[in-house]
Amino acid sequence: MVFAWKSAGLSYNRYLAIASRVVRRSLKEDKRIAAERRGETDLRFAKWSNGKQGESKNLVDANSSGMASNAGSASS
Amino acid sequence: MFSRAARPALRAGAAAAAIPARTANNAATYATLREIEGRLKSIRNIEKITKTMKIVASTKLTRAQRAMNEAQNYGAASNEVYDAAETKPLEGEEKKPLYIICSSDKGLCGGVHSGLSRWVRRNINHGEADLVVIGEKARSQLGRTNNQDMVLSFAGVGKDVPTFADAQAIADQIVQLQTQYSGIKILYNKFINATSYEPTVIEAFSEEAIAASPNFSAFEVDEELIPNMREYALANSLYWALAEGHACEISARRNAMDNASKNAGEMINKYQILFNRTRQAVITGELVEIITGATASADM
Repeated sequence: MVFAWKSAGLSYNRYLAIASRVVRRSLKEDKRIAAERRGETDLRFAKWSNGKQGESKNLVDANSSGMASNAGSASS
Repeated sequence: MFSRAARPALRAGAAAAAIPARTANNAATYATLREIEGRLKSIRNIEKITKTMKIVASTKLTRAQRAMNEAQNYGAASNEVYDAAETKPLEGEEKKPLYIICSSDKGLCGGVHSGLSRWVRRNINHGEADLVVIGEKARSQLGRTNNQDMVLSFAGVGKDVPTFADAQAIADQIVQLQTQYSGIKILYNKFINATSYEPTVIEAFSEEAIAASPNFSAFEVDEELIPNMREYALANSLYWALAEGHACEISARRNAMDNASKNAGEMINKYQILFNRTRQAVITGELVEIITGATASADM
């Protein structure tokens, strides 16, 4: 079984996040605003190596760019 | 006998010592009066702030608890599979476990964060496990002692009730880690009741552990789907841990602020009495001065 999203380099969670975002956006106006608040994240993260904190980055951006770079290696 | 005889003398000596001091900084009594007033004002302001924070936390608490109950269902549902399959973490390998510590960014909530940090320091030796820390508070606490073991840290949690999207994004980043771990353990504060909570661990299993569990074949799941399931289960467990940790934090903050307001109230009472007494003393002193002055000038 090959999933289209898997070969595009997405993880299952990312796939779910995108799917749920689509569902939320297609809701009616009043429900949509309440639902979209459940989909918001505002996290930052930093990698640590040898006891030193690295640069702090936005998590969502880093995830999407990381997956985009995975896409090339996964599909080949 | 001697002691009783000596007492008046002692008292006189003490009074003699005290009187010059009081007269010497007669001007200072006004200053201390003003000092007490300033102190009183600042304590009142602090009480106002802590009271407001308590009210805010109380209103947030119901929402946080509702989110926690819902999130517990998420976690319980995904753990149901592992219970039925009797999945156990793999042991006896040289791989390290990964600990995820769920705290948050904000303080002023009693020992919620330091409880987690203390658990980590007590139970995990250096080099035995890697740490992923969620939340600024635990990051700064563990960054001092366990910084060699840390691989990732997340910030920006705890402003609001954690969303599932938060948990998913964190799970994604953890899945992308290069090192292979024997299993993932999520450390969070378990909500026992409104005043007590304790650090607890949820297991999130590795793919091998899921595949090796004795009753797993009963589910008839394809091998290929296991990584997906594992990622999703990790997000579920993380969401559970984050939501429960958040509820604990809010209720701990409510209690802490309740205590702080109570203490501030006590201090205000004490300082109010001291203030009144000092003011009275100053007035009496002034009266005595005026009367003695008047009698002295009347005699002449």
